[in-house]
Amino acid sequence: MSVARLIGLGWLAGVFLTAATAAPFVPAFERFSAQGGGAVLFSELGCANCHSSADSVFPRRGPVLPGLAERVQAGWLRDFLADPQAARSGSNMPALFSGPEDPRIEPVLHYLLSLKPAATKKRALGKDVNAERGSELFHTIGCVACHEPSPDFHPPTGRPESSEFTYASVAFPRLQAKYSLESLARFLENPAAVRPDGRMPNLGLGPTEALDIAGHLLDFQDSDPRNASKLEPLTPDPVQAAQGAEIYTQLRCAACHEEKPEKPAIEPIAITNPAGGCLSEARGGDHPFYSLSEAQRTALQTPTGLPSPIHSLNCVACHANQGTGGPDAARGHYFLGDEALGDTGRLPPPLTGIGRKLQPAWVTGVLEGKNRVRPYLQTRMPVYAGQAKALSTALHDARSLPALAKGDVEAGRKLLGTQGGVNCITCHTWGKQPSLGIQALDLSQLTQRLQPEWFREYLLNPAGYRPGTLMPPLWPGGQSMIQDVLNGDTERQIASIWAFIANGSGLPLGFPDVASGAFELIPKDRPIVQRAFLNGAGPYAILAGFPGGVNLAYNGETGQPARMWRGRFFDAYSTWFVRAAPFEDPLGSDVLDWPESAAHEFRGYRLAADGSPVFLLRIGGVEVSEHFSAAEGALRRELSWNGALVEPTWPHPSGAIVAEEPGGGTGKRVFVYRWKP
Amino acid sequence: MRSLFVCALLLASSACAYDRFDILTASSVSNSRDKDWKPGKGLVLEVSGLCWIGPDRLGVAIRKGEIWFIDGVLGNDPAALKYTLFASGLQEPLGLLPDGDGYLVVQRTEMTKLRDTNGDDVADEYLTAARGWSVTGAYHGYAYGPERDAAGNLWITLNLDMGDRSNNKIGWRGWALTANSAGEIFPQAAGLRSPCGMGTNRQGDIFVTDQQGNWVPATPIHHLRKGVFYTNPEGIASQNLPGSPLKLSAEVPKNIPYPDAVRALPEMAPAAVWLPYNKMGRSATDLQLIDAVGKFGPFDGQLLAGEFTNSAIHRVFLEKVEGEYQGACFSFLDGFPSAVVRLAFAPDGSLFVGMTNRGWSSLGARAYGLQRVRWDGKSTFAIKEMRAKPDGFELTFTEPVDPISAANSESWKLHSFTYLYSSAYGSEEIDPQPVLIKSAEVAADGFSVRLYCTGMRELYVHELHAPGLKSATGQTLPDPRAFYTLNRIPKS
Repeated sequence: MSVARLIGLGWLAGVFLTAATAAPFVPAFERFSAQGGGAVLFSELGCANCHSSADSVFPRRGPVLPGLAERVQAGWLRDFLADPQAARSGSNMPALFSGPEDPRIEPVLHYLLSLKPAATKKRALGKDVNAERGSELFHTIGCVACHEPSPDFHPPTGRPESSEFTYASVAFPRLQAKYSLESLARFLENPAAVRPDGRMPNLGLGPTEALDIAGHLLDFQDSDPRNASKLEPLTPDPVQAAQGAEIYTQLRCAACHEEKPEKPAIEPIAITNPAGGCLSEARGGDHPFYSLSEAQRTALQTPTGLPSPIHSLNCVACHANQGTGGPDAARGHYFLGDEALGDTGRLPPPLTGIGRKLQPAWVTGVLEGKNRVRPYLQTRMPVYAGQAKALSTALHDARSLPALAKGDVEAGRKLLGTQGGVNCITCHTWGKQPSLGIQALDLSQLTQRLQPEWFREYLLNPAGYRPGTLMPPLWPGGQSMIQDVLNGDTERQIASIWAFIANGSGLPLGFPDVASGAFELIPKDRPIVQRAFLNGAGPYAILAGFPGGVNLAYNGETGQPARMWRGRFFDAYSTWFVRAAPFEDPLGSDVLDWPESAAHEFRGYRLAADGSPVFLLRIGGVEVSEHFSAAEGALRRELSWNGALVEPTWPHPSGAIVAEEPGGGTGKRVFVYRWKP
Repeated sequence: MRSLFVCALLLASSACAYDRFDILTASSVSNSRDKDWKPGKGLVLEVSGLCWIGPDRLGVAIRKGEIWFIDGVLGNDPAALKYTLFASGLQEPLGLLPDGDGYLVVQRTEMTKLRDTNGDDVADEYLTAARGWSVTGAYHGYAYGPERDAAGNLWITLNLDMGDRSNNKIGWRGWALTANSAGEIFPQAAGLRSPCGMGTNRQGDIFVTDQQGNWVPATPIHHLRKGVFYTNPEGIASQNLPGSPLKLSAEVPKNIPYPDAVRALPEMAPAAVWLPYNKMGRSATDLQLIDAVGKFGPFDGQLLAGEFTNSAIHRVFLEKVEGEYQGACFSFLDGFPSAVVRLAFAPDGSLFVGMTNRGWSSLGARAYGLQRVRWDGKSTFAIKEMRAKPDGFELTFTEPVDPISAANSESWKLHSFTYLYSSAYGSEEIDPQPVLIKSAEVAADGFSVRLYCTGMRELYVHELHAPGLKSATGQTLPDPRAFYTLNRIPKS
């Protein structure tokens, strides 16, 4: 036994004393115990596995045991068996042994480590690991909906105060004692492989992401995963293992850890003493010891009905439901997205009325990891492949709503658009087509997602269905603002929007044809001067295009020319009409850049009689003007001043042929810039 | 160009005593995107600045970066309108103000003085009139103004950055500044988020609207002045820069009721008026004083507030109580064809309403437009003013009230609420409490009613409903609501 292991054991021994009173942690019970808390506990402590003959739809299981030897340190497992709460605070695993000295632990340990996993093909592990990237992921994709954020991670809206945390986190075991880097990464990559009950969901991490998060959680600072320590093997002793198999059967481990235990079959145990047995306050006797808190013990004495699956699976950690749930103020800091969409751009959608809102097949798809429609949310919707069909069925609400009226596809095309419509595409994307403003949810697949009746009700009162939405009520009071489409008939208008999305082809009216270059600025008779954000010239850029295909970008911040190029000048579409105000590039070719140099005080510009720009500077207290024009495919730069100017160096564009016109004399210099042939 | 008189869709609060004359509205920027389009062809009138020039000329800044003069706007003949392109190539100018022999506009990077020096009605000078705030290139880094106050200061307001390249820790993002004629800037007040419209009252004090969002629980109208902080601390780091008039004396509080926050932080100036979210629009824009010697109805001295999402205009009554502005907001005009962004009056009492909804969305489905609104001289029944009193409120009306319904305290319902001050995006109304109306006393002329109340709370919004109230001629109020922000209960 290595020194490190001994220290590890010593540390755990200390924890035995302090944490032995920890209770199993069931998130939904902690937050919502008032709402049928007993039923949630009965489900989430796996009570039904022994005490019910009925098949539970969302059974709480223990992890798959075959393959443990490849997943966890034997020493940690030994400690865990001896006292689950000490090894992993909040564990739902009951203590089955009397304590570390119980002689049955060692045989069971050998038995468990002898169980071979079903052969599966493993993906190759990533080649490098980056704990910092892992921390970024851990804190932004949803892990902290359930787990505690690290104090050294700063979300953009500030680190929450402890008072903002209104419920506890799902604690980790001592991860370095339990896992190797590889085994934790493999677990994170597909938790469902060993915990098929979905309580630790599958976030769809790629191998590199899983490795990075594992690196963060294990505080692994190396970049080469091969340098991480491996699990310490323990070769199971066959005699001990055989003995352990018998104890395993006696203790009914299979009830929780095997999906369909067959030999021997697990017969349900009637509950005869609701205050004793598993609910006992003390360890001892032949029942599992759950280390329940007083509140849990009380709640479990009256478990009624089945808990909602959204509580069992803790969907409410991320999703609000009927005014409760969703992240609290503290965890809300870690739900990031598109600020332009307000809270709807960063918080997962509420589940209120979800069974009426979404088509069951769509919900199944969402749970299976398909159908992602909110690319702006950084929080990832996990995959619940094993629960998808059952959960979709459980959520569906079959009550009928008034059906849609008869729609008109072409009226719908107009209504969705910006030419006499209600402007849906101003905010909403359409397939790959960005919207004209904020980039809200894609509408093109809406009829596959939503139930038509719900769609109608939502359009009539968006805020009633999604509090905080930026979506305005476009039919206020049920009245249409568009009188010249279908006679202003609200019902038919809504039905027509549906009809176009479902059956129309092409795009809603009003998406600009960006590809046509209709907003290309073409200087024909006079120069064109236009401010823009331009790559290589900065946010203060002033562009000047001259007839004849010579173009300039002037940096209005530093009072220095920045770039010149030939051919086509500039496409102004994004500068003029795109809310995201992207940085643009010159349209033409042969871009030559001026080197960066000391800034001059910029005072604006004048337009000469022919429309060419004269930039105005103050250098060392002297007014200097810089007049740019074009002639015969060259850019002409005329500098003039009155007064005693200590001439700065006038930098020239790299790669240009520079000529100075003679006769500059006092207060004037003229440079001509040409492209090399 | 089509034109028409519009009596807009009559929604709950529309008072049809106001005629609307359509100067130009259109559905999309893309109507200028035909294959042969070239600069100068087609006019995408996404109004971002308006100023009256006279005698029959309106100045219009548009978002794509142009300044247009429109002549003939006071006539009713659309064919007689004449459009002149005065300046182009600007970057998102969000204001327009005559200044001596030229015009001032604030664009993203600077305030610019535009001048025509050769008399051809086209600007040939684009001089930097003030600059010095941070411009990172983040899309949300809009700059607004200028607006002139009574002292002649030119006010500029700056959005917080959002999105790529954002940096709100430098260069006065989220601040209001003033500029002098030498081009120097003077930071004045911090804590703004998206302060997209300014306006002065009759005293020449200046006000600004802000947008509900992070740290801004609803839509505020703030009184701009030196050395105060409003609500959003994301740009507060600039207080450490040279020239800052402000140094917060305590940590910015959070997750407490807004009145408690104002009390906890001495530099935090309470909003003069809250426009409750959804109840009174969603996003206020321009502020415009009504100063039309009765030509725009009986509301002289009040402010109009443009409303983006709901395509409307609200009316705001302000009074100064114990040194702090406060007052009430009322719904006024709605049903505009696009998002209302800029407002300007002509001397004949015509209100010009400049619109554009690109980037967000609005109830009015047109992409942009410009309308003229005129009062037709007919009175409609409305609450004209709502004043705070030590023991209640005093309401005045545009028409005499029916003394029986007005004196019945059952005709009135009053409650107060506030907001949670936090980093969240907007706030629910919290801590609602009824305010007891003990009695209602009607003036002899019927033009005012005194409500005697108990349970008023300072720094809370007081929401009044008068569903049972009738005018002497039996009319009910088109909108029976008023929202009074009670920063101070008057001592006398």
